[in-house]
Amino acid sequence: MQETITPESLFSPDAGQDPYPIYSALRERSPLLLEGGFGGGRTWALLKHDHVYNVLRDHETYSSAGGFGGSGAAGSGGFGMVLINDDPPRHTRFRRIVNKTFTPRRIAEVQPLIERVAGELLDEMGTGEREIVNAYTIPLPVKIIAHMLGIPGEDYKTFKAWSDSLVGVSSGGMGNAMGGIAQMAQYFTKIAAERRTEAGNDLVSLLVQPDGEGESLQEWEVLGFCVLLLVAGNETTTNLLGNMFNGLARRPELWAKLRDDRSLVPIVVEETLRWQSPVQFIFRKAVRDTEIGGQAIAEGDRVLTYFAAANRDPEMFPEPDEFRLDRDLHNHVAFGMGIHYCLGSPLARAEAQVSLNAFLDRFETIEPGSVPGTRLGGMPLIYGFRELPLVVG
Amino acid sequence: MKLSIDRESCLRSGQCIYLQPELFREGEDHVPVVLVERPEGALLEKAEEAADICPASAILLTNDSEQD
Repeated sequence: MQETITPESLFSPDAGQDPYPIYSALRERSPLLLEGGFGGGRTWALLKHDHVYNVLRDHETYSSAGGFGGSGAAGSGGFGMVLINDDPPRHTRFRRIVNKTFTPRRIAEVQPLIERVAGELLDEMGTGEREIVNAYTIPLPVKIIAHMLGIPGEDYKTFKAWSDSLVGVSSGGMGNAMGGIAQMAQYFTKIAAERRTEAGNDLVSLLVQPDGEGESLQEWEVLGFCVLLLVAGNETTTNLLGNMFNGLARRPELWAKLRDDRSLVPIVVEETLRWQSPVQFIFRKAVRDTEIGGQAIAEGDRVLTYFAAANRDPEMFPEPDEFRLDRDLHNHVAFGMGIHYCLGSPLARAEAQVSLNAFLDRFETIEPGSVPGTRLGGMPLIYGFRELPLVVG
Repeated sequence: MKLSIDRESCLRSGQCIYLQPELFREGEDHVPVVLVERPEGALLEKAEEAADICPASAILLTNDSEQD
């Protein structure tokens, strides 16, 4: 652990292990100028809840264009992600069409599927000391999304390989991704054309069939959206699950309480989102001169809105480092805020709740394994476990 | 049909304010304020759409006879 915490600590190996003491030490200095920036221009780290909240809501001043995926430089790898990198009006049209994919009602319809997949994975995992990331927290979201996209069971392994090749894109590496994306392009272009002619009950059909306003997605937009789902929707959920089960393995009295009172399950999921947010921050770029907390921000400056630091701001969440079930969690920003609010949040919540209930049904106890879990490390954008051995039974 | 917001459930995502600005504007505490209490025709369809996509299921369309 380093002795002095500086702004650069935000990108140190320590940040990958446990960024929270770093946020604590630096929060009062928000907005915090970071040396070196990202691709030129100044970069500011925002660590206070009201700074983060207000920037995320002000999409007119703070643009999302070109901010995410690849190196952040425009046209990196020739592939820009839809939706997350878009501003209105392009964003507005797209979001209006895709909002119908993960509505609470739609998610309620896949709840039985999630329960079935959870059960199958846990049957296979068994009891005793188990590494739950590879056995459970990675495959669960991948299988659910594959099903929702209408990918037949026999294609699952291929689909998972694409998903694996995209791991790390969210942390800025495009390394293996282009091959996977090229294959996905072929696959989804074919599927989208088929579904346009004959609709099925899957997400691709939903998106290529015209909606009430006559709007639908073009094939290339469907591909972009599917890549986004894999990049933004798999690793994130995996990390939510890992952070949750790791937290609970260290709180046996809470596990016992949950076994007896399942009404607490949604609260545990929500508090986990706040306490160890799977996505730690995101980029925005100022399109005009402005100010944050009295600090002048110039047009072209980038800001990193630290969801995770905002979620532990004592001004919003008293005793922020404590995992508690009695909080008002309405203002946590683990799913972002404003026009880009996480599209998949109902699915993420459902997968986490079903998973927790499935573990609670089967396991009287859950404890840390004989070796500690390994955090992801690397770029501290995503916070979760690469491996997490736990003793379940 | 009466359009209202369940303040307890609202997660302040702001999707309704963004996509249906004829029906909602942002309130002081970021909870939306309903602009048209009894939408009809095309506006009612938009209200139904907003209710469907709200991630918190906090947008309510109730029959006038169901007052709480």
